[in-house]
Amino acid sequence: MIEDDEILQMYIEESLEHLSDIESDLLTIEGEGENIDVDIVNNVFRAAHSIKGGAGFMGLTTIKGLAHSLENVLDLIRNKELIPTPNRISVLLTGFDKLEHLMNNIQASNDEDVSDITDALTNITKSSLSEDKQDMVTNTVDIALQDGRIFPAVSQYSIEQAKSEGKFTYLVEYDLIRDIQRNNRNPIELLDSLEKTGIIIDSRVDFDSVGTLGDTSSSTRIPFQILFASILEPDMAGTLFDLADEFIHIITDDMLSASRGDHEKETAAMPPPVSTDQVAAPTAQTQARVSTHENTERSAREQHVRPDHVEVQHVKPLQEAPKVEKSVTTAPKPIVQEPVQSTEPALKKTLKQEAPKPRAIQEPVKAKTEPQHIQKKAEAEDVEHDSSNMNLSKPMGSLRVNVTLLDTLMNLAGELVLSRNQLIQGINSSNTKATELSSQRIDMITSELQEAIMRTRMQPIANVFNKFTRVVRDLSRELGKSINLTIEGKEVELDKTIIESINDPLTHLVRNSVDHGIELPHEREAAGKKTTGEIALRAFHDAGQVNIVISDDGKGLDPDRIAATAVKKGLMSEQQVGELSDKEKIELILLPGFSTAEKVTDVSGRGVGMDVVMTNLEKMGGIIEIDSKTGKGTDIQIKLPLTLAIIPSQIISVGNEKYAIPQVNLDELLRIPASQVKDRIEKVGDADVVRLRGNLLPLLNLAEVLGIQKTFIHPDDNKEYPDKRTSVADRRSPRYNKDGKTDQNHPGKSDHRTGEDRRYRSSSAINIAVVSAGTHKYGLVVDELRDSEEIVVKPLGRHLKKCNGYAGATIMGDGKVALILDVSNLAQMAELTTMAEAERTAKAARAAEEAREKARDKASLLLFKNGPEHCAAPLHLVERIERIPVSSIENVSGKKVVQYRGGALPLFELSQVANVSKLPATEQQEIIVFTVKGRELGLMVTPPVDAIELSLDIDDSTLKQTGINGSMIIDGHTTLLVDIFDVVKTLNPSWFEEEKAATEALMEENRQKVILFAEDSAFFRNQVKGFMTEEGYSVISAEDGEIAWNLLKERHHEIDIVVTDLEMPNMDGFELTQKIKNDPTFNHFTVIALTSLASDAHVKKGKEVGIDEYEIKLDRENLMKLIRKYLNF
Amino acid sequence: MAGNPKKLQEKSTELATFYVGKALCGIDILSIQEINKHFEVTTVPQAPEYVVGVLNLRGRIVTVLDVGKKLGLSQIRAGKQNRNIIVRSQDELVGLMVDSISDVVTADQDRIEPAPSNIGGVKGKYFKGVMKTSKALIGILDIEEVLKE
Repeated sequence: MIEDDEILQMYIEESLEHLSDIESDLLTIEGEGENIDVDIVNNVFRAAHSIKGGAGFMGLTTIKGLAHSLENVLDLIRNKELIPTPNRISVLLTGFDKLEHLMNNIQASNDEDVSDITDALTNITKSSLSEDKQDMVTNTVDIALQDGRIFPAVSQYSIEQAKSEGKFTYLVEYDLIRDIQRNNRNPIELLDSLEKTGIIIDSRVDFDSVGTLGDTSSSTRIPFQILFASILEPDMAGTLFDLADEFIHIITDDMLSASRGDHEKETAAMPPPVSTDQVAAPTAQTQARVSTHENTERSAREQHVRPDHVEVQHVKPLQEAPKVEKSVTTAPKPIVQEPVQSTEPALKKTLKQEAPKPRAIQEPVKAKTEPQHIQKKAEAEDVEHDSSNMNLSKPMGSLRVNVTLLDTLMNLAGELVLSRNQLIQGINSSNTKATELSSQRIDMITSELQEAIMRTRMQPIANVFNKFTRVVRDLSRELGKSINLTIEGKEVELDKTIIESINDPLTHLVRNSVDHGIELPHEREAAGKKTTGEIALRAFHDAGQVNIVISDDGKGLDPDRIAATAVKKGLMSEQQVGELSDKEKIELILLPGFSTAEKVTDVSGRGVGMDVVMTNLEKMGGIIEIDSKTGKGTDIQIKLPLTLAIIPSQIISVGNEKYAIPQVNLDELLRIPASQVKDRIEKVGDADVVRLRGNLLPLLNLAEVLGIQKTFIHPDDNKEYPDKRTSVADRRSPRYNKDGKTDQNHPGKSDHRTGEDRRYRSSSAINIAVVSAGTHKYGLVVDELRDSEEIVVKPLGRHLKKCNGYAGATIMGDGKVALILDVSNLAQMAELTTMAEAERTAKAARAAEEAREKARDKASLLLFKNGPEHCAAPLHLVERIERIPVSSIENVSGKKVVQYRGGALPLFELSQVANVSKLPATEQQEIIVFTVKGRELGLMVTPPVDAIELSLDIDDSTLKQTGINGSMIIDGHTTLLVDIFDVVKTLNPSWFEEEKAATEALMEENRQKVILFAEDSAFFRNQVKGFMTEEGYSVISAEDGEIAWNLLKERHHEIDIVVTDLEMPNMDGFELTQKIKNDPTFNHFTVIALTSLASDAHVKKGKEVGIDEYEIKLDRENLMKLIRKYLNF
Repeated sequence: MAGNPKKLQEKSTELATFYVGKALCGIDILSIQEINKHFEVTTVPQAPEYVVGVLNLRGRIVTVLDVGKKLGLSQIRAGKQNRNIIVRSQDELVGLMVDSISDVVTADQDRIEPAPSNIGGVKGKYFKGVMKTSKALIGILDIEEVLKE
């Protein structure tokens, strides 16, 4: 048996699928204008057509009518009789939108009034036809068959159209039961297959001729009539239709007669909604019928209220009425019968307009006679139908899955069963090896299964992206803007749930870009941009996440205006705003209650701000980043997880319980050794902060936020005691008050108990998970950091809904439940205000600290020992570190070498050059390999070897000697800074001779060349100046950027090149460069920047202000090469 | 199912009975999924006081409630007789931790009376009714009321 529901469902799904592609096709058609691409138009046409075909069978009259009108217009476009102007396309788009809307509300579709759209479409059709043909569009004809039956109300236009194309028109009658159901076909498939050989003009189920249960004389067929136009000759038709000749009628002109009703009636005359097996499953349609009845009643009322509207113009033959009655008796329940009696779904329309029929009046009255009875039944039925109705109102409840994928799943399931059997066998026979093997197999299969199942849920992001072409088009037309939308990465796949929930936020962002981002054409012209704005939508995979970027080249966001608005709206104080960077100011628009639009347009101003977008994204575990340049445009980047069901996360523990932190929120893990707690954890105001790479990060103690009573195992007696510590910071940690100044009342490190460091056990180390959520970044102090695991997210029960700190729960490998932490809610629970305050105070402290730091230079050094002495060398000169057995060192002609990578690596120790201790004899020798002058050599050292990044504060007098630049205190040890160049020069002067000769030749010339050198550190100033003068250059040195700038202004005639440090007080290297490059007098100067830390961001920033070259400090060789390149060509 | 007070009157029902403190309570046996002794719960900090924790029941997360605390009595005392009654309610599983379980009795409609305002210290609103047996008085719990957040 075919369930009616099932076919309807299938029809809806298929139609929606057709509709989903139409929009982009229509837009392409619009874009091509007169150069009509017939293939694309055909696509759209076919879609409208097959929707119409199915609708006829389903009795969805409104849909059928609408699809028909759309089809007519498309047909004209296809035949190049109509040019698809934007206005016409707009009407078509609205039409298809309406169609989609009807599809989604299929049960109510027949009651919808779509006349405005159909009228508009009809007008388009008419406008392109010659006058005599115009009427045909609205006219309908009836087809009379030989046996007296009538196929009513066929569009005359369609028939004429078919005829003019030289096609034969057939009326074929399939029997729903015998021809279709018993042959295991279904009507929609049938329509589809017919479509291949011709055009279906109309279709209906002829209920008039269906006999009743008691009526034995009548035929037992349920004819499904299809009006079909094809170029196929009549003698072939029988084969095609697979029907006996008596059911194939060739339509000739004399069978046509003007329809009794006008166009409006076409719908009215349609048969009632039907189900294939009306007797067995009458309920499916009752809902529709009940509402039909209501309409009838309403119409009846209208009728009575406005009797003047009743003009009997067209008298509808009564022939149909009794037949309907008859068909109705086949239905078993009176409830079905009742509404069917008042069968005209379009009755309302008919009544409202000018053509009510006598029956129409009679009908409602009949209905009124037993309204009580109906009402009751209807109510009773209502309850039952709610559920079935629900299913239908959500037609997207099913998902299409690739068959290959399904096969893969099936195979995997099979394998899983096999492995299970093996496992059981292994266990039963206590065969450890077999058990192990099968558990491995199960492990593998499970992963594959997981992936395959995940893939079934994956959908291309095109599903969301495609609609934006339309959104942008409509919106830009409405706003009078010209915008070009480019979409990239449509094929990127995301989990179904994410695809569904990302729709709204994305729409909002795209609308924002159109509305607020892109300027009006004249504004753009004035700003010197192309009049057409560009919006780009890109999706791509990156680091296991999906990135979506929405960028526009509009006016961008104005950080100061945003800040001002935030202050005006009381979201932040003036002072708070003042401390923010531009990027942070821009991110203020994510705050709740913010909207920058000065003019509230229809587009924005709908009460949904960016904060909602952010909340929605965060719910999905997404992150949003905004990057905007005033006047240039805005980039909004969204990062989303691939799926929500299984997420990678970090397991941590507090007390006796484990918790999971989603990896998306996790930035890094930090373990502060017991001995460093007092130095790295500080107290700012009431909040603990940790010093992390020069920044202060607020700390949140998870146990405290969640109110877990912390315990600790006392190391002396191994018993558990409650932990009474309330603060992470050490008593001796430095304290700052809220201005960021050192708090005088609590000077750090001055407790009476100071002295011996009591935190010596490794268990008192502090473990921190650095997490970020939205704009908040903080450190979560936990007891232990554990593994990183993939976890399956499960919801918590309703009793725990109020616990905001958790995003759900998961089951760990040991079977216990672990809670998943919601990082952003935790921050809120710890009272955002204090957090924000702590952050700001931390920032103030950081700023103070930075000012101090800035005066110094930072460098990466490699620390090592030379016997008892602590030494350091610049890290960037180090090639690698090796450990070799001492026995492999050979003594060749007084020099030590080791065979290394097919060559001899010369080895030396520091004592050969400088006055330091000799290395002790060992079995293994650590060697630091340096590259100087393109050659490698190894410095033998004593471990441990360690890298460190710190501010250089070099004493270049006390311990300076050959091979040693100077000394500084690192970690409490006087450390010698090894000058590798000097060492090599002393050991292998020959390496430099060649070059020396070359330089000497240039010496004289170089004396004419003047270098302006800005550097604040005296050590580096002398060092680098030394390199330069050694090669003969004259050097003017300056202590900071400002001095350099003044010197440049005074003496720019003599200066040839500028070499500058980047980090300097008063004016830094960036500012200096910018000044030079922006001044027409000086902008010809080459600027070489010296830096100790050349990060990509630095380099980018430098390039922006105009720095020509970057070089690392202390890399004498490259620096001089660079200077020579510019000065000596 | 359990939430429908009329159900009891329709025909005889079987009641699973258990002790909460000294009060003997019963619930419709059909609303019970299982009774077990799993107590490896994960405590949930910040949860309402009556929540013992969450439990993994064959891959499903079950919230376990301390019926004693929920009904306003004292906490269920940990002991060997403790049981977890897993009931299905509003499409999720909830565990009720009780002191001990007792017999399954057939509820006889004639002997069910409306609940007094107080049964053994428990408010009457938690009960659908009481049933007198020869040995004791069984308070028939209204599960949905008990499970209300």
